Amino acid sequence: MKIVVFVSQTLDTEARVAVSSSGDSVDTEDVKWILNPYDEFAVEEAIQTKEKLGGEVIVVSAGPARGIEAIRQALAMGADSGVHIKDDGFLETDNYTIAKIAASEIKKIDGVDFVLTGMKIIDDESVQVGIQLAEELGLPHVSLVSKVVEVDANKIVCQKEIDGGSVVVEVQLPALITCPDAMNEPRYASLPNIMKAKKKPVNEVTLDDIDFDSLGISRDAVGKNGSKVKTVKIEVPVIDRKLKIIKGSDDTTVKGEEIAQSVQELVQLLRDDAKVL
Amino acid sequence: MSNEIWVIADMKMDGSIRKVTFEALSEAKRSMQSKVGGPLCAVLMGSGVAGNAESLGKYGAEKVYVVDNAHLKDFNPDGYVKALSDLVSKHQPHIVLAGNTAFTEDYIPRVAARTGSGLSMEAIDIGLTDDNRLTVRRYSHSSKAISDIEFNAGNTMMATIRPNTYKEEESPVTPEIVNEQVDISDVDIKVRVVNLETKMSDRPELTEAERVVAGGRGLGSEENFKYIYDLADVLGAAAGATRAAVDAGYCPYDMQVGQTGKAVSPTLYFAVAISGAVQHFSGMGTSKVIVSINKDPETPIFAKSDYAICGDLFEVLPVLSEELKKALAE
Repeated sequence: MKIVVFVSQTLDTEARVAVSSSGDSVDTEDVKWILNPYDEFAVEEAIQTKEKLGGEVIVVSAGPARGIEAIRQALAMGADSGVHIKDDGFLETDNYTIAKIAASEIKKIDGVDFVLTGMKIIDDESVQVGIQLAEELGLPHVSLVSKVVEVDANKIVCQKEIDGGSVVVEVQLPALITCPDAMNEPRYASLPNIMKAKKKPVNEVTLDDIDFDSLGISRDAVGKNGSKVKTVKIEVPVIDRKLKIIKGSDDTTVKGEEIAQSVQELVQLLRDDAKVL
Repeated sequence: MSNEIWVIADMKMDGSIRKVTFEALSEAKRSMQSKVGGPLCAVLMGSGVAGNAESLGKYGAEKVYVVDNAHLKDFNPDGYVKALSDLVSKHQPHIVLAGNTAFTEDYIPRVAARTGSGLSMEAIDIGLTDDNRLTVRRYSHSSKAISDIEFNAGNTMMATIRPNTYKEEESPVTPEIVNEQVDISDVDIKVRVVNLETKMSDRPELTEAERVVAGGRGLGSEENFKYIYDLADVLGAAAGATRAAVDAGYCPYDMQVGQTGKAVSPTLYFAVAISGAVQHFSGMGTSKVIVSINKDPETPIFAKSDYAICGDLFEVLPVLSEELKKALAE
């Protein structure tokens, strides 16, 4: 089976976020870059599928040069090869354009059966790109797949969580799924596998290799002003919380009579201080 | 491109229209319609939904496009993608707005890609530039940052709006009903439902609720979530959970609040046995008032709360439910 995983590199969620001097992006000095966590679930699912049915896993990513590290991490987990669509302009390119360009490169791969990607990219918090990628590839999609119940050469059966319940769906391959957390347990890459990953082939693609005319977009679409949407300002608001913490007399938990007292104090604060009752 | 502003009617499984639709119509009427100049329209898609058209007029919809098609009965996203894409391609509205729900997150991106429309999701505010291009404010970076997005000129501009962002405001008008025939065939429906399990809850919906009581893994079992439900019911609140609690099987996925799962911004959020990790906080950190109950005096969430009790939830919550019942009855 030929499996493609579309991955992105993002900054670490735990990272302190500050605004850059230009005011329209996040400061990325001293930032730790990681493989988008939801893409890790996608990579793991792809590798498990390969282990079950045989075949290969190809990792595709669009981004600046440092993005190769995210591809290498997926290769270290067990993917076989990569495609790195490389340009700094992708940092300011919207999901619509990234989906179109990634799709055009994936279409160059013959016989793709199954495409996976994370449900969300954690830095810009967008859930669109995977679904738009499915549209550009002309593939059906199932998003938020909490479990792949069954997969064979022809179809997948997926469990998907929805509001008010869950649903099991079936779709013929080739198809695309987006992966939430708790779908599986992504494996750690061992040191030998990290070393092996450095030798796995990665095809580098630049904007010169892309036939923009056939995509119906201009080369300027890669970048802020050619995209359909752009970020013009970022703020990092500080919410001051009241920090009124009621503890027991030993500075730990409230015990005995303190329980009733603390509850009464809290209710009074909610009523008179916060005015939310 | 026409100068119409469209608001998609987000439907619940019981056939009623979500509050967020009325919120979006109200805001579009208040801040956009006169500038853009065209009629404010609603788009009603489903099976057997035509009866809802009038209620959309109550909130200002002068025109309601109705697509009534059997293929839309079971909320299969494929059908909605086809219906809305065909409508957008035919009429080329200036702006399309919808509520941000798990369902719209599933089908609207595909409509945007198919029609070449720009899309920005989970708006906490929308607006217009001087030359009537859509602007969107939204959270990014685990809700630590707020981004201002601007659409470049071109095709239809689409945005989804977080529930509870705007106030509903009645502005009654009798809408013109436009029945649209959309061709949705079996070929368009690629994803087949094998099994559907739904469980309706009487409690308010998480993303629409003014108050939320959420529990973490420390509750210890599905049965113990009763402590959360009891407190929620006293407050008339929605019930939520952390990813850890959902993973442990204590409650269903649609109660999950966080980076995956739902983003909520209620007036009052109770975090019970929750440490406040970034992934959870990203889904509720903008709540107006945060109250935590946690037995760990060093728990990180205390540094992000307005009020807290350091105590054993099993001892504190029953007393709290009683006291709140009294306070609310006054």
